[in-house]
Amino acid sequence: MTRTLRNALLGTAFGLALAAGPAGAATIKVGVVAPFSGPFGVAGKTFREAIEVYQAQHGKTVGNDTVEFVYKDLDQANPAQSKALSQELIVKEKVSFLAGYFFTPDALAVAPLIDEANIPCVIFNAATSAITEKSPRYVRTSFTLWQNTVPLAEYMAKQGIKKAVSAVSDYGPGLDGEAAFKTTFEKHGGTVVDSIRMPLKSTDFAPFMQRIKDSGAEAVYAFLPAGPTTLAFTKAFSDTGLKAAGIKFFGPGDLTQEPDLPALGDAALGVTTSFNYSRAHDSAMNKAFVAKHKEMFGSTDTVTFSSVGAYDGVHVIYQMIKNGGGGKIDGAKAVESVKGMSWESPRGPLTIDPDSRHVTQTIYLRTVEKVDGKLENVEKEAFPKQPDYGYKVAK
Amino acid sequence: MTSVAERPDPMSDPVSRHTPPAARRDLGWIGIPLVAAVGLAAYWLLPDDLALLTRIAASALFVLSLDLVLGYGGIATLGQAAMFGTGAYAAGIVAVNWINDPFAMLAAGGIAGGGIALATGALILHARGLTLLMLTIAVGQIVQEVANKARDWTGGSDGLSGIDPAPVLGLFRFDMFGRTSYLFALAVLVAGLLVARRIMRSPFGLACRGVREDPLRISAIGGSPKSYLVALYAVAGVFAGVAGALTAVTSGIVGLDSAGFPWSAEALVMLVLGGTGRLYGAVIGTAAFMGIHHILAASDPFHWMGFIGLFLIGIVLFLPGGIASGLERLGGLLRRKEDRA
Repeated sequence: MTRTLRNALLGTAFGLALAAGPAGAATIKVGVVAPFSGPFGVAGKTFREAIEVYQAQHGKTVGNDTVEFVYKDLDQANPAQSKALSQELIVKEKVSFLAGYFFTPDALAVAPLIDEANIPCVIFNAATSAITEKSPRYVRTSFTLWQNTVPLAEYMAKQGIKKAVSAVSDYGPGLDGEAAFKTTFEKHGGTVVDSIRMPLKSTDFAPFMQRIKDSGAEAVYAFLPAGPTTLAFTKAFSDTGLKAAGIKFFGPGDLTQEPDLPALGDAALGVTTSFNYSRAHDSAMNKAFVAKHKEMFGSTDTVTFSSVGAYDGVHVIYQMIKNGGGGKIDGAKAVESVKGMSWESPRGPLTIDPDSRHVTQTIYLRTVEKVDGKLENVEKEAFPKQPDYGYKVAK
Repeated sequence: MTSVAERPDPMSDPVSRHTPPAARRDLGWIGIPLVAAVGLAAYWLLPDDLALLTRIAASALFVLSLDLVLGYGGIATLGQAAMFGTGAYAAGIVAVNWINDPFAMLAAGGIAGGGIALATGALILHARGLTLLMLTIAVGQIVQEVANKARDWTGGSDGLSGIDPAPVLGLFRFDMFGRTSYLFALAVLVAGLLVARRIMRSPFGLACRGVREDPLRISAIGGSPKSYLVALYAVAGVFAGVAGALTAVTSGIVGLDSAGFPWSAEALVMLVLGGTGRLYGAVIGTAAFMGIHHILAASDPFHWMGFIGLFLIGIVLFLPGGIASGLERLGGLLRRKEDRA
């Protein structure tokens, strides 16, 4: 027993000595603020898993420096708490990067902090366009509603749809979607006959379905937060006969994100959405990503848009460390060094727009279909090089 | 709520035999200097955790406001965050549009919190028990929905950002290390405790306690229970509004969560944990809950909620009157020993 213990201790000491590596190596910490518990815990889980997959594929070191991730749980949108946690990461943990941020207010809360501390903040999700305008140290690897909606509205207009109706949840992102849809669809000659705003927490959609029916629209553009509301909306759409009446259903891909597909079930079949990532994306890189994920965590059920948001965010952070040449990170310079950077991601080609510091990416048109008995977003068309159309759009 | 039933009979309680009730409830004069001293000590001992300490100080002021309505007035509420959120938004709107002096923001928050408490209190405080509880929740939801709809003023679900408070007294800037924020928050908390203690020991405060214990008797001696409660609700609203404004000053952003139901409920948990009707119980409860939350969430960000649950169950089982009651019992035991000697 003692001998095993001694051997184990020796082994650990040896391992640590190895891990310490050559002289001059430093540990670069990245603070990740995201929901890891509570109802949105799955979002943080996708972040963490993607980070671990990236580190498993690309190693934990950049040059001589070891990259270490420090996780802070922010279980719901709470900007004051977000700022306190980020402040602690900077002051106590001495992180060189902040990352994560699922909700917009949480990301907005750190703008004064990252400017004062000169630390880059890589947003893995929070999708309101205006965020990156608030500080030059924000970089975002997710998507915005404008980015997803504009190509969708153009596609709908090209399909010959003349009259459409928008139905969105009455909160920030919903209104962003409504504005983006109306602007683009009308620019391409369509008419938005009704703009419906639904209460955020409503799960009874029958009256809204009636309004959609009465409006005489040929198609509906819908945006609701993922979860039970989306489920109820999609079900109501087919139950009230709108689906059977031939009204076409479109929306951003948040509606049919992968972790929700099993719960949506067959009601989701045929729903057409536009989004920046589908787990079923057909590329060698995505297959490698999904396979590695399966190998490490045993399942791919949670692989979704927030996974690639984090995966690519880590890539950008690695690149910033590489560009800095090791040692201390100068936040402003690090952000400067990745402006215009292009690379291939599991979701397709990405470029960081030098102006908005948001990724320019391919948006895919997908339809929910059964693949090997599992619901997947199957990509039908691709709209390459879509920037964030919402950047600096006057509200 | 339950605190009425749990309070021990004053004649048999060893603590109350030795000290008058007013002193027993807030540790006499020593409680507030103690909070200030511990607060300052924390500033020197935990210089890296000022962000957390600032949040604790601001939240303690909010829980204190809940103690005023629940612990002293016996008003069951799950909507105290309505006042907190209104105060926070008022301070934020004032700072973004007109004047960003931190004291002006606190004043705006206090006025807004007190105003909404007065208006809604006058409407809902005729109800009692569960009906009242439901109405307070409804008020909270209305405030939250108004904040969501008034996007031009509040930023809606994106939050009201860009609040940049001016240096305190023109000298101390709000830096990223949180030194100014913490000392400012601690000062406001101590001032709040002093004012709350003064109010609760005034004839008005005693009358409010009277209403909680026997409203019928207060009417019999010529008082109006409802007007006392409405006044108390408004006073507590001022405290909650100032707490909200303090959060806006120290965090620079206000989100919809600040008026949300979970925040009201969490405050109630912290108050019950610390002990109701004592003022300093609010501070102890907040510091204990948020401190433990912080330590657990830092050591295991993925499963800490379960441990918090166990901790709460433990407190409720072994210290039903809250942590403060445990301290008092301890004090009572010590004193009894002295008597015997």
